[in-house]
Amino acid sequence: MVLWTIFIIAAVLVIIFIYYYNRFAILGNRIDNSLAQIDVQLKKRADLVPNLISAVKGYMKHEKSIMTNVTEARKALLSAKDMPSKIKAGDNLQTALKSIFALAENYPNLKANENFLQLQQELSAIEDKVAYSRQFYNDNILDFNNSIKIFPGKLFASLFNVKGRPYLEIKESERAVPKVKFE
Amino acid sequence: MMSERISFYDQIRNNKIKSVLLISLIIIVFFILGYFVSYAFTPDYFFIIMILSIIISIFYVVIGYYKSDKIALASVNAKPALRSEYSQYYHIVEGLTIASGIPMPKLYVMNNEQINAFATGRDPKNSIICVTTGALKNLNKQELEGVLAHELSHIANYDIRFMTLTAVLVGMIAIIAELFLRSFWFRGSSDRDNKGNMILILIGIVFAILAPIVVRLIQLAISRKREYVADASGVKFTRYPKGLADALRKIEKDHPTENKKINKAVAPLFISDPFKRKIQGLFSTHPPLTERIRILERM
Repeated sequence: MVLWTIFIIAAVLVIIFIYYYNRFAILGNRIDNSLAQIDVQLKKRADLVPNLISAVKGYMKHEKSIMTNVTEARKALLSAKDMPSKIKAGDNLQTALKSIFALAENYPNLKANENFLQLQQELSAIEDKVAYSRQFYNDNILDFNNSIKIFPGKLFASLFNVKGRPYLEIKESERAVPKVKFE
Repeated sequence: MMSERISFYDQIRNNKIKSVLLISLIIIVFFILGYFVSYAFTPDYFFIIMILSIIISIFYVVIGYYKSDKIALASVNAKPALRSEYSQYYHIVEGLTIASGIPMPKLYVMNNEQINAFATGRDPKNSIICVTTGALKNLNKQELEGVLAHELSHIANYDIRFMTLTAVLVGMIAIIAELFLRSFWFRGSSDRDNKGNMILILIGIVFAILAPIVVRLIQLAISRKREYVADASGVKFTRYPKGLADALRKIEKDHPTENKKINKAVAPLFISDPFKRKIQGLFSTHPPLTERIRILERM
């Protein structure tokens, strides 16, 4: 009888251990997966840049510096190795793109160009998607951190040595519309 | 924040349990209806009719489960949305699927001047969102995003499976009950001499009258509660309650038009009641818009 009780308690303990181990693994995988989604969207943005440059080139002959800004920002994004620098490069590219769209206001012919309009819509949709993928990433971080900070998960987290993960910061300055000089 | 999360997952589990309960309830109702129908008309073939009604009811539930989305789409005459024609619609839903982490639903459009939308399907992998042309024309980007996030959270919460199933099954029970009742108008009582028989038939008639009403009341009560939950979890995706609140305000001002094309059974699927009934109560498919707007403004 005593043996059975010990056996049952042991079995329940093992099940609880497995449950928490798997829970941390699943929530952690979700974070990695949502990080990959940010990467996908940043890559899509970079892929659209050459199309935009070729659509704009003919109209904006005197805006060489902005064009090089965009091309440089794209290069920096494609060569970025780790995620924080990719995200930073992605923000820089977005800022550079915004100045192109702001300048486009001065070129009525360009604004009437169907190809340009489509690219503009596409890129603004990607901007939304980048923001959403970051939000989803932070949601998953919240779930993960909650699961290891709230009892009894806290107990198992320290047992398995699982640590909380940092949120993605979105700086206010990066969200602001860039100032464009008109000459 | 934590409590919100828990209630969100609880909602999904609740919906899965309720779907199973509902299917069993429907099978039982079919069973009892079959029993009375066979008893009332041909006691000799009792067993054959009983077995037939069981087979038919299981067959019907299976078809309802796999085809209900197609039935709902066909009943409102919806067409698949072309990516080239509705690029903004696609962009918004794609963004929201990223925010919510659920697979991309198929997108449909129905030709209707009213501002409205619904979601259907059996799970997030097999889901459909449909909006009216009126919604695409009259809502701005933030408002449309609010409405689509509401629909997407119906998908994420597994509301669609439950609501679509009920829409199809409740309709079927109503039809069978009505057929059973009507058949008495065309029949004399010559072949019924047994008193016990008469009582059973009377119980059958009462049951046939009550069954569709009770099933429908359950469906509506659940449907109203679900709209609040979908509003809240939709805002969790967009983080912008004003978008949906503004859209609901536009829907409120929308002129009530006759909607003969829309079957009453699919009304609970929509974001707002397509029939614009003003009286609120047990038979309302949706909670009052003003109340929903009030809650959204407090978020």
